[in-house]
Amino acid sequence: MDYSWLDILAASAALLGVWMCGVIRIRTLLAGLALQVAAMAGITLYIGLVTHVTHFLILAVVVLLVKAIAIPWYLAWAAKQLETREDRGVTVAPTLTMIIGLAILATCYFGASFIAVPSLGNVGAAGMAAALVLLGMLLMIGRRLAISQVIGFLMMENGIFLYGLTQTPGMPMLVEMGVIFDVLVGVLVSGLVIFRLNRSFEHIDVTQFRGLRH
Amino acid sequence: MITLLLIICNILLIPLLLIGVINKVKALLQTRVGAPILQPFYDMVKFIGKGETISETASWVFVWSPRIGLAIAIMAAVLVPWSGLLLPASWVPATNLLLVLYLLSMSKFLGMLAAMDTGSAFGGLGASREATITVLVEPALLIGLGTLAVGAGSMDLATIYSQPIHPIVAALIGAALLIAALAELSRMPVDDPTTHLELTMVHEAMILENSGRNLAQVEYAVALRSCIYFGLAAQTLCRVWPGFLALSPWLHYLAGLGGLFLIGIAVAAAEGVLVKLNWRRVPNFLILATVFSLCAALIAVTR
Repeated sequence: MDYSWLDILAASAALLGVWMCGVIRIRTLLAGLALQVAAMAGITLYIGLVTHVTHFLILAVVVLLVKAIAIPWYLAWAAKQLETREDRGVTVAPTLTMIIGLAILATCYFGASFIAVPSLGNVGAAGMAAALVLLGMLLMIGRRLAISQVIGFLMMENGIFLYGLTQTPGMPMLVEMGVIFDVLVGVLVSGLVIFRLNRSFEHIDVTQFRGLRH
Repeated sequence: MITLLLIICNILLIPLLLIGVINKVKALLQTRVGAPILQPFYDMVKFIGKGETISETASWVFVWSPRIGLAIAIMAAVLVPWSGLLLPASWVPATNLLLVLYLLSMSKFLGMLAAMDTGSAFGGLGASREATITVLVEPALLIGLGTLAVGAGSMDLATIYSQPIHPIVAALIGAALLIAALAELSRMPVDDPTTHLELTMVHEAMILENSGRNLAQVEYAVALRSCIYFGLAAQTLCRVWPGFLALSPWLHYLAGLGGLFLIGIAVAAAEGVLVKLNWRRVPNFLILATVFSLCAALIAVTR
């Protein structure tokens, strides 16, 4: 085939995002998120191997360890602690969300030339990055449990990471590490907040937070 | 002449053999010995010899619709290139994809009529569930086969499958056809074909009232439709390798049958491992087929 690994991995990440829009179980969502981040790490590795710059290789390993293994594992543990939160309802039906996600993906693909940096990067990957950001947003606004909204936020972060990776000549190592650890800390803090919410409300259904407690 | 002989072999031998292989593989995976691979043939002979019990409220619809359904299934099995067999050139216009889809829908419609004709509750339940599943899966089939038609420039299935298909489009549409096949044939995870609880049945509730010769006709039609759907999925998935079309006709046919039986084995393995989906979760699974087809359509449009 006439596609490079970068295109294939970026497209797989975006397709995983579309699939995740229609998934209901939290543990499957986390598995999809882990695969998506693994695709990001793969793209980083590919860029590192092609341009022979070592900091991309180190970045790939760190992204894999922190964002693909540590964060989903932590969120899975949190979901188990919150107990029966593995099956949940959504505000828009998952089937419709998947179709909307596909429409978003198509729009981003065809509109990619507006946001890409043609001299440097891959126009296709920019489209996929924008799609990931929008799909993460779709996941955040279409879901009812707080933990799924965290997963949506992480998908948006994946999209921004992909855009920065493919459309810029690379950020300094320190900045990238800073961003990754900021995300890790953010997820840990949001985990704490979700536990607090659960203790106060006995559930983490965001649509019910405004009502009086039963 | 050889083509006619192979078509007769396709209709008489392969469908029941496929069902036998699926059941045998499932049994072996469940560490049972299971029935022999030729058991469906023995079952056919047994059913034809048995007498029938027909409900008193049933009319001629109940008696005639399995016969017409079987005739339609045989016609579709001859027309659809599910085994990699090259059809004579004069038959090609008859393999129009809309005709094939409508034939298959018609056989399902007749099955539903017969189910509702008996007046039992299970028939109505099975018919309504089967209709729901068919409605959810129809866009996937139409968009998928339509994408292939646009790519090949013709609506005839024989022409579509004699031309190369882009590998990614072939992979996506093959996956969509496989999911649609699982739904239309009422296999796992949409419906458990071995369930004995009527409340969980989809297809078996529809054919519950049939016995004897009617049952033989219905089971044979199901076997033929299995070949058609799984065969189409196998053919599409085989197109992922561009060199597949360059094979000689005999090798093409044998490889097509090999692909069909491989998909049968995969389906049997899936049946041993998966559980039946909660009925409210079935649309979530079936929408995957539509999403794959739409993705393939988008990719094909941009080429």
